[in-house]
Amino acid sequence: MAETMENPKAGLPDAADMLLECKGVSVSFPRYGAPVSEALRDVSLDIRRGEVLGLVGESGSGKTMLSRAIMGLVPPPGEVTAGTIRFEGKDLGKLDEEQLRRMRGRDIAMIISNPRGELDPLQTVGQQIGNVLRHHLNLTRRQIRERALDLLKQVSIPDPQRRMDAYPHELSGGMAQRVVIAIALACSPRFIISDDATSGLDVTVQAQVLELIRSLVSERGTSMMFITRDIGITAHYCDRIAIIYAGEIVEVAGREVFFDDPQHPYTVLLLAAFAQNERLRRYWLGGDKVQEYTGPSPVGCPFQNRCVRVEERCRGEHPALLERQPGHFVRCHFPVERP
Amino acid sequence: MQILTYIGRRLIFVGPQLVGILLVTFLLLKLIPGDPAVMMLGPFATDDGLARLRTELGLDRSIVEQFGIYLWRVLHWDLGTSWQTTMPVTSDLAQRFPATLELVTLSLLLALAIGMPLGVVGARNRNGIVRKFADIYGLAAGALPDFWFGLVLIFILYTILGVVPAPLGRLDFTIIPPPDVTGSLLIDSVISGNWPALRNAAGHLLLPVLTLGLINAAPILKMTLSTMERMLEADFSRYAEMCGLPPKVVARKALRNSLPSVITIVSVLYGFLIGGAVLVEIVFSWGGAGQYAVQGVLNADLNPVLGFVLYSAILSLVIYLIVDLIYFAIDPRTR
Repeated sequence: MAETMENPKAGLPDAADMLLECKGVSVSFPRYGAPVSEALRDVSLDIRRGEVLGLVGESGSGKTMLSRAIMGLVPPPGEVTAGTIRFEGKDLGKLDEEQLRRMRGRDIAMIISNPRGELDPLQTVGQQIGNVLRHHLNLTRRQIRERALDLLKQVSIPDPQRRMDAYPHELSGGMAQRVVIAIALACSPRFIISDDATSGLDVTVQAQVLELIRSLVSERGTSMMFITRDIGITAHYCDRIAIIYAGEIVEVAGREVFFDDPQHPYTVLLLAAFAQNERLRRYWLGGDKVQEYTGPSPVGCPFQNRCVRVEERCRGEHPALLERQPGHFVRCHFPVERP
Repeated sequence: MQILTYIGRRLIFVGPQLVGILLVTFLLLKLIPGDPAVMMLGPFATDDGLARLRTELGLDRSIVEQFGIYLWRVLHWDLGTSWQTTMPVTSDLAQRFPATLELVTLSLLLALAIGMPLGVVGARNRNGIVRKFADIYGLAAGALPDFWFGLVLIFILYTILGVVPAPLGRLDFTIIPPPDVTGSLLIDSVISGNWPALRNAAGHLLLPVLTLGLINAAPILKMTLSTMERMLEADFSRYAEMCGLPPKVVARKALRNSLPSVITIVSVLYGFLIGGAVLVEIVFSWGGAGQYAVQGVLNADLNPVLGFVLYSAILSLVIYLIVDLIYFAIDPRTR
């Protein structure tokens, strides 16, 4: 973004420039008669002001858990067991529930997937946008109505006046997604988490909605964490991309570097899955041998059982997240080198 | 407009439904052994007298004919006479049905007032003391028979403490009843400004309403608790939390979404209690419709039973219609 002009140390984190800093965040769930299951392990991620960070991972990798940890809404009995999350310098772990609640939706907003199931079926679109406005901002009834209508216009909902009084079941998937975006934007938050926001939509609608999110976010200079399973989407919409696997960040890099020089085998696997080159794809996806998926390994590198480049060291030693080039972090003993 | 069409369509089916219900009841009653003529004339009746009475009552005709005659009379709102009270069934029921309705309605209101708040608070705080109380209450009230509970209440509040009037009917004999307008003693005494009657009727209502209310709060409590719990975990509640809405607002959303289930259980209880309150009616000598019907069954007095079934069926249909209208009002998806 604009940082190259104003910030001479582009690419290097600068404290004043930071909006959200996660340091060594771990989330675990206690289990009866078994060791605790760790949903997130030692996750460190920074997001700068105005930056769009893509967070990519398969289901169960901890993407959503990270967003919930940031929101302070880890579902019980899970809890944040280590690390700090700072938002604009404030340690969110030190805030009480009421202070956290006031931040949610106002400073940190969420765009969710499957919005038709997540909106209250008994309230109109106008009421649901109004709810958020009323509880976070001091507005009169009329101001709320005007603002809600204005928001619907901003997310390009056709015939917004009529949609104000529509119920969620009367909306199409794409329309409901726009409503959720309007709710996220309602209080002009500084940080938006988009959690797989377009996964339930048709491809054409998906593109429209993504374009809408991007333009609204960049217009306002809002920072965003863009969670997705589709690594292809990040190429168009994100400044920086982080890959998460089994609750750990395995690679982080700026967009150009990321697609030009991916170094973690899992990243390469994700990219290769889209590749036109048949030979490349077969190699990285493990060829013809049908893999019995055993899940992430508890000892050594979590990715070892699926890695085509696995070696003895990976079996026993857990790799650390190392900065290979400035701003490019990789968690692998044997990073992929460019040929 | 849509609602009117819906009501219209529902009303079309009311007639056939009622005939069906009457037919089944009629046949079932005919299966019960017992000859009304013998019951009416007693042990010293002559064969001749019995035969004459049977002809008079139409009992010598075929069942199909008997049912046809009965239906024809029902069409003219003549439900026959009860040989026990020697009164037309319509006038008997006009007196007794409101007594039961008043009792059941107030009991269910009390049950709602107890069950819903307990369920809501219990669902919101799963480890709280209210939840523990609600669990124990639900278990206890579900296990106690209502008539036994009524007897315990009588023993404590009437026999020992003497704070309520004797459990004999709806009004003391010394009190002049208000003129009959709605059939509900409370409403009628208010209309006529008869305050002693109002106080006395309320006193008589207290124990049976307490009995039925406390017992029937249990199913309402359980339904509210489980539905509310599910709604608080539903996606829309989680999303509301993410939007930073206060817990109270989230709970209110969940409650609104739980209402249809609660209303359903209330309507089922209502229909059930019209007849199901009979044991409590007997304990308190209430003189209600259930008691009337049971007496009819025991004494082969057909008309009161059929009349009671007809009234109950109509009432149930009305209640279900009202419930549907409430659904319309709450849930836009049904519109």
